Amino acid sequence: MPSFEKCIDDEVDLFGGNEKQIARLKKTIGLDRRRVVEPGTTAADLCETAARRLMVAMDLLPTHIDTVICVTQTPDYSQPCNAAVLHGRLDLPKSCAALDVNLGCSGYVYGLWLAHMMVSAGGCERVLLLAGDTISQIVNPKDRALAPLFGDGGSATLVQRSEVEAQAWFSLQTDGKGFDRLIVPAGGQRAPSSRETQVEVVDDAGNVRSAENLFMDGAEIFNFSIVEEPKAVRDLVDYAEVELDAVDYFVFHQANRYILSNIAKRLKIDPSKVPMQTVERYGNQSSASIPSALCGELGEELCSPGTRRVLLSGFGVGLSWASVLLDLSQLSVCEIVDCATSD
Amino acid sequence: MSLQKFIEDFEEAVEDIEPNSLTAATNFKALEAWDSLAVLTVIAMVDAEYDLRLKADILKDCDTLEALYARVTG
Repeated sequence: MPSFEKCIDDEVDLFGGNEKQIARLKKTIGLDRRRVVEPGTTAADLCETAARRLMVAMDLLPTHIDTVICVTQTPDYSQPCNAAVLHGRLDLPKSCAALDVNLGCSGYVYGLWLAHMMVSAGGCERVLLLAGDTISQIVNPKDRALAPLFGDGGSATLVQRSEVEAQAWFSLQTDGKGFDRLIVPAGGQRAPSSRETQVEVVDDAGNVRSAENLFMDGAEIFNFSIVEEPKAVRDLVDYAEVELDAVDYFVFHQANRYILSNIAKRLKIDPSKVPMQTVERYGNQSSASIPSALCGELGEELCSPGTRRVLLSGFGVGLSWASVLLDLSQLSVCEIVDCATSD
Repeated sequence: MSLQKFIEDFEEAVEDIEPNSLTAATNFKALEAWDSLAVLTVIAMVDAEYDLRLKADILKDCDTLEALYARVTG
């Protein structure tokens, strides 16, 4: 977690002095504080901090890692991938595979799916999954529809072979026809960065952004979330032949409280089983939001004895959505680490 | 289901709107409370009460509550 915190109460100017609008956003969407990186810090840095803490807590040596997977849409470089950069920084062995996954809010579950398959197929003993983003850096600070939403974060998760049999059910879905509903339109090969793509434009609602900033069609993304997510969750528990009530926690991508409460309402699940305070504490942290909710809201419980049936589900850019139902036995470590004070 | 009920649902969905303050002819997009958050809360209301996935384009096309009601129930 970056240590620098912003608060929507300090951004009255962004909302043209409209304190009523800020109050509405706080009450309904749950926006409040968010953690953002300071210039010079990247998602790779946040993930490295998390990985080092995990390796200490697990008594893990670099040579124990067979594969490192980085999930990010805000890598240090367009080439090479973050996984290769972090492979070097973490002194991982040459025998260790390293790859990136270019996904956002669904990415953590995709990463777990890959790691799970690698371990269950027998090719890997231990996979290090690093998921993190600095979306605050690609949002225009004058875009009041997006700027107050996004925070930054990085995470590290270890998936390893164990003697305990634990089943997991995954569901991964895509609607590529909606690719342009959540997009950074320029800066890649389709529309290379130029003076034109950096020109800031004011939209109908008065929000400012350039083609190199993140754009989100909020209405369509909201529609997508409240239609596809409840369906995906129901389909997954049916597939696993598990009753919805038998799930201890539903940890969704922490988009915002309004979306999460709408999903919970449509599923008719107990809201106390749905962590949704992460956004107001840290902001929407993209690929790091599910691990952030696990550590920040359930960490203590997940590190106590016992097994919990947990459903994790991410949804967003792609459009892409992914869910997993898994039994988590006592974890060795599940905590928030402050990036500035961890070293 | 009626236009009057729809107006009441709309008033309830959008924060900071007084009950009985809107009419069929109200241009909802000119309301001070109409912002990107109101778009979400109205979409959620229409989904829950009218079982319809309200596309953003429909909201763009309509100005009055009567016109929006016609699209929601049409």
